[in-house]
Amino acid sequence: MSVADMLTNLTPTPCIVADSVAMRYRVPSTEVTEDNRYPHMKFLRLLNPLPNTVTVNALNEISLVVNRGESVGVIGRNGSGKSTLMQLISGQIRPTSGAIHASSTPIMLGVNAALVPELSGDQNVVLGCLAMGLSHEEIADRFDEIVEVSGLEKSIHLPMKSYSSGMGSRLRFAIAACANPEILLVDEALNTGDAQFAARSKKRMDELRSEAGCVLLVSHSLDTIRQMTTRTIWLDKGDFIMDGPSKDVTKAYTAFTKHLSKGNNISAAKLRAEAQSSLPMVNLLKTTGSAG
Amino acid sequence: MTRTQQIPMVFAAPIDIPVNLNNLSRVGARPAFLDYLVQLWDFRSFIVYDARARVKSGTRRDKLGSAWLLLNPIFNGLTYFLVFGVLLGTGKGIPNFIGYLVIGVFMFQMTSGAITGGARSIQQNRALVQGFTFPRAALPLGVNLREAMVNVPMILAMMLLVLLIPPTEPITWRWLLIVPVLVLQFMFNLGIGMLLARVIARVNDVAHLLPFLLRAVMYLSAIFYSYERFINKPVLLHIMQANPVFIMIDIARDCLLYAETPSLHSWAVLTAWSLSALIIGGIYFWKGEESYVRG
Repeated sequence: MSVADMLTNLTPTPCIVADSVAMRYRVPSTEVTEDNRYPHMKFLRLLNPLPNTVTVNALNEISLVVNRGESVGVIGRNGSGKSTLMQLISGQIRPTSGAIHASSTPIMLGVNAALVPELSGDQNVVLGCLAMGLSHEEIADRFDEIVEVSGLEKSIHLPMKSYSSGMGSRLRFAIAACANPEILLVDEALNTGDAQFAARSKKRMDELRSEAGCVLLVSHSLDTIRQMTTRTIWLDKGDFIMDGPSKDVTKAYTAFTKHLSKGNNISAAKLRAEAQSSLPMVNLLKTTGSAG
Repeated sequence: MTRTQQIPMVFAAPIDIPVNLNNLSRVGARPAFLDYLVQLWDFRSFIVYDARARVKSGTRRDKLGSAWLLLNPIFNGLTYFLVFGVLLGTGKGIPNFIGYLVIGVFMFQMTSGAITGGARSIQQNRALVQGFTFPRAALPLGVNLREAMVNVPMILAMMLLVLLIPPTEPITWRWLLIVPVLVLQFMFNLGIGMLLARVIARVNDVAHLLPFLLRAVMYLSAIFYSYERFINKPVLLHIMQANPVFIMIDIARDCLLYAETPSLHSWAVLTAWSLSALIIGGIYFWKGEESYVRG
């Protein structure tokens, strides 16, 4: 028995393993670039324009292990890669390199577009639930609950394209929330909709969180993060900065943002570099054979 | 934030974390082909519900509702009758030209509708694809199922027109042969639809070319003229006789109009087309399973 095998037996069972995951986009840019090709034949430039695309590093290489029973907060400024990480884990986008492993299909609660705009709300409920693998009986059981959580009442019978964006995301939340997932991803779902819905969705989320195997929560509210999670990771501009107990990480992050808002970019960058330098590189020793 | 890069960074020593991937599976991973088929079977209620819900909502905006499903091919047939039958006289020498035209128009419309729908199924359902994890072939399959449901009244109407419009034709046992033709047509449409669905998910421009391709197929399928026109042009004749859409229409005409048993050769060629379209389209679509989440 090798050392790695022995360690495997001791380690808790992981729910999510992100193995050197990175995400890059190539997107078109409207920035004007100097085009000096074909100096004597300008029309050729029109026929063959420069591919005006830029590469965006949404998330640099990151390795992460989330164990069963953990609830992990994800914090960072806008554009730090929080949502990208969530989308990667939920399978909504495919990483440019690396792979995400999960013990079951992660379900993401978040603000999202309409499902099938031509269909009515109730048809979308059934379709969404079937797409998550529920049976007709299970859907019949939960249908009233979903409608109640969504707060749509009579509007549930109208086509989804007639919904306001708030109504659409409420329904989307209610559908995803009915699944009782083992792995729950929450992307600022608490901020959707009016106060009445916020209270209702928070209640449902608390239920889900207590039942789920592990939870990942993206939020800008550090209070929420501290209340609901035990461990927090901090992302900034696609870089993995810090990983540790929620109390420590939110403290470091608060210090960082305070320096930034005062305009002390240098000291903020120093804090960021300090935090990042103490972050150990994670080296995953993958075993696929049966443990022991 | 360019300052960030100027501060030298010292990274802590790497730590090794052993993970047992035994009980984990890669998110969004493409299963083996047979597992994929099993998954599709598990999602059968999703596919059926998707198809049925969209049948109902398809024509909700129109005052005449589902009647358009019938009126559309009838108006098409009427237009072709006026232009090709009356003005250009392409129907000369064809016995029961109206029946000939009706079967051609209806059969072609069923194929083109199903192929167009299947080809766009991924592109038009991005929200569904990104929101949920299910075997993506459920979408083209659902579209084809919906088309098949819609086609049942269309086929009945087609038969009724053949029976009612003079010269009327007698019902023979060969009318039953329309069922295997429709099964083969379904397989062919599904296969081609899945093939195109992956292409269009990758290169959206092909969606613009699709109507032209279908129109070219239509003109080559002898819908409003007789293939005997090309009897002196062997190359064109061969192309036409290998055209699966023409073969479907031809077999349907033999059965419903001319009380002739379609030749074994026609059946063999059509079966070969349908099977290869379904197998090649299915495997090609499955190979791209992981790529559909990104637009």
